[in-house]
Amino acid sequence: MTKTVAMEKMLKKADLAAWMAKLGQTRLFAPALEDEDVWNYMPVADAKAVGLDHPNTIRPPKGFVFPQREVLYKFSQIPSEAPILTETLPDPEPTVVFGVRPCDSRGLVRQDIVFTKEYEDPYYHGRRAKVIYVGQACNTPPSANCFCSSVGGSPCAEDGLDVLMTELDGVYHVKAVTARGAELLAKGGDLFKDASATDKAHVEKTHAAAKAHPQRPIKDLGKVAGALKKNFDSPAWDEMAKACIGCGICTFLCPTCHCFDINDEVTCSSPCSGERVRTWDTCQFPDFTMHTSGHNPRHDLGSRLRQRVCHKFLYFVENHDTQQCTGCGRCVSLCPVGIDIVSVVERLGQP
Amino acid sequence: MAKVEQTAKDETGFEPKIVAFLCKWCSSAGSDLAGVSRLQYPSNAVPITIMCSGSMSPMFVLSAFNKGADGVLVSGCHPGDCHYLKGNFYARRKIYLVQKLLQFIGLENDRFRMSWVSAAEGAKFAQVMHDFVADIKKIGPQTRLKAKRP
Amino acid sequence: MIDVAQLKAHAKGLLEKGTVRTVFGYRKSTAGLLAEPAGITEAAQADDLIFDPSCVQNLALYLVNDKKHQAEKRSDDKRPVAVVAKGCDSRAITVLLQENHFPRESVHVIGVSCEGTGVVDASKLARKLGNKKALAVAFDGADAFAVTTNEGTQSIAAAEVMAERCLECRSAHPTLSDVVFGEAKAERGLHTPFQAVKAKIKESEGDRWAYWSRQFDRCLRCYACRSVCPMCYCDECVVDSINFVIAPDTTAEEKAERIKWIERSPAKSESAMYHMVRAIHLAGRCIDCAECERVCPVNIPLRLLNTRLEMEAFETFQYSPGSDPELPTLTSSFRDTDPNSFIR
Repeated sequence: MTKTVAMEKMLKKADLAAWMAKLGQTRLFAPALEDEDVWNYMPVADAKAVGLDHPNTIRPPKGFVFPQREVLYKFSQIPSEAPILTETLPDPEPTVVFGVRPCDSRGLVRQDIVFTKEYEDPYYHGRRAKVIYVGQACNTPPSANCFCSSVGGSPCAEDGLDVLMTELDGVYHVKAVTARGAELLAKGGDLFKDASATDKAHVEKTHAAAKAHPQRPIKDLGKVAGALKKNFDSPAWDEMAKACIGCGICTFLCPTCHCFDINDEVTCSSPCSGERVRTWDTCQFPDFTMHTSGHNPRHDLGSRLRQRVCHKFLYFVENHDTQQCTGCGRCVSLCPVGIDIVSVVERLGQP
Repeated sequence: MAKVEQTAKDETGFEPKIVAFLCKWCSSAGSDLAGVSRLQYPSNAVPITIMCSGSMSPMFVLSAFNKGADGVLVSGCHPGDCHYLKGNFYARRKIYLVQKLLQFIGLENDRFRMSWVSAAEGAKFAQVMHDFVADIKKIGPQTRLKAKRP
Repeated sequence: MIDVAQLKAHAKGLLEKGTVRTVFGYRKSTAGLLAEPAGITEAAQADDLIFDPSCVQNLALYLVNDKKHQAEKRSDDKRPVAVVAKGCDSRAITVLLQENHFPRESVHVIGVSCEGTGVVDASKLARKLGNKKALAVAFDGADAFAVTTNEGTQSIAAAEVMAERCLECRSAHPTLSDVVFGEAKAERGLHTPFQAVKAKIKESEGDRWAYWSRQFDRCLRCYACRSVCPMCYCDECVVDSINFVIAPDTTAEEKAERIKWIERSPAKSESAMYHMVRAIHLAGRCIDCAECERVCPVNIPLRLLNTRLEMEAFETFQYSPGSDPELPTLTSSFRDTDPNSFIR
């Protein structure tokens, strides 16, 4: 996307609010409690209250660029004339999102691939161009089910981020990863001090300690795709999906899942008027693959679990040379019945 | 004509939209009687005839509010007069529960109402409509459950 | 105290003799503290079964799902399925029997007593433990849990970390079972039932709407509440109009004319409608297993919503769901003395 630059600065923790105040005409979001135990990216009302000491948010930050509901166009009609279509490309205000965990930003890179590689999606890119992601390295794992290191990531990965912040004692080490990020730092002016060699050594030590935290392992990541392919017809899929209730939690809250459905929301059928909208959809719902004939090729829970796991660890690897899972652990922690993608990969994705 | 329209509107110009689910055997006939007896009553209700108040689905109520109704009325035969003997008794229980639920989530109390109107009670039907429209005019348009449509 | 070895032996016996097709029970999960539901078909797997306060799920759901699955497979295996059921779960099975969802002989209910303590609320426990991470939880006498963390085992008063519904539970012992394990303790009733609902009713109408509107607004429409509910067994659900049952003779016109009651968009109005349809559909059927509230990733207080009408059923119509399979259901019955004064 943008040219890579590396600019390392130091910011006192107490100056975070002052920096936010200097960002001017942008909407700011940071993790906050939406309700009891529900961490979400919320508009920053009081910059002083932003602590950046959050566990992983329930919702990943994908909604900023791929909202759950996107209007594609509006349609209307003057009686007895042909319907008129009006395109509604998004034009959001510039937005800065703070506190993005590296797993979630790596999720954005996966979404970038999907919405860019074969077809450049104007709705996605209309938003993507306006959203700046300020990441936060995880000094300690923010969730019990983190496994970013096992899927090629790290608690201080920079992919997809514009800025990466690392908390040290009383200060943030702030690294601009992209030109957009550097501009954001420039707005802070003299709040930032250049990082000294000691600071850089400190940050390296902190990152090394973060990487050393034990996480749930996936052995032989490179061989998972092949093993899954071999085990496509394994009866173990059905067995492991036996407890699955078929809800959409694992996919809706996944930072990489990007499937959608397109519907017409008709306000009036004659003369016709309404909107064509795109909403999140999930391979875990039976109607996802339902044919008009009534035949459903993925008719049972086992085949849907297989689809989810294979999309992440087999098909995406075949198509784009990388896993479509960034190890945030949401699907594991939030699954009502404890279906655990790491265990599934352990069982069926090992040669 | 202009004068009549003016009296029907309050100062804000708000005219409530009411969806009235009337059972075929009593309330619908009651509303007809109000008409043929040339009784004056507000014309705010869209009448929908159902076979029996017992066949009333809570979904109809919710859907009416979702599509922008300011009030919903369900009307059936008096207890003991049901054409299907006990449909209105089932309706009474069901509608009572729907009403409690709507109140619980915070929809204004006066927006959902049930009445017993027999085929002979044209005057009562007119009165029920009068009261309902007057009460809804006091609370204004329904915005809570209405879908935000362009 | 419940002897899990007996439970395992019983399950093993059933599978060895082949008298049941599957045993639905609980086993240790790899994903976290709470147990995971397990459908076992081989006698050897019975050793994995557990029963402790982490067994929160309502396994009656799997009877419903199993029925769908059997129909889909066109299986002619008519053997019953066995299911481990706590007090609340047994009430769910009773409601399903009451509604003739399946015949009594098709299910073998292995009742388990959750004793004085009920099951654990994982988020209450996490708050209580602070930085420590719970690894396992066991029954510890009549009113405590033994919680094993990374720093050792400690005893915590059950009332502090018990699921909200268990505090109010009025029939902790299975009401319907073929065999029961554990002591019979019917009454717990640490809290008066419907307290939360009554407190909410006292608030002003505007406050109530502000509250619910905030809840409905953040609904994701992942339908986990519907998927986890044993009472949500409809083949067709109003929320997904393309999921209607399509038979070979369903015509294009029929498909086109199907009403779209609710838009898929997670708008407040649509989500409000979804949750209210579910609440009204559960009236007199909800047995308060509170699974809907537990699974909700954004913590919508669905138990509060769904127990509103249970309170009405109990107080106005003297009706407790799941008490007797022979009783007519709440909305398929009436009395002359039902409230009438609300009608004009």
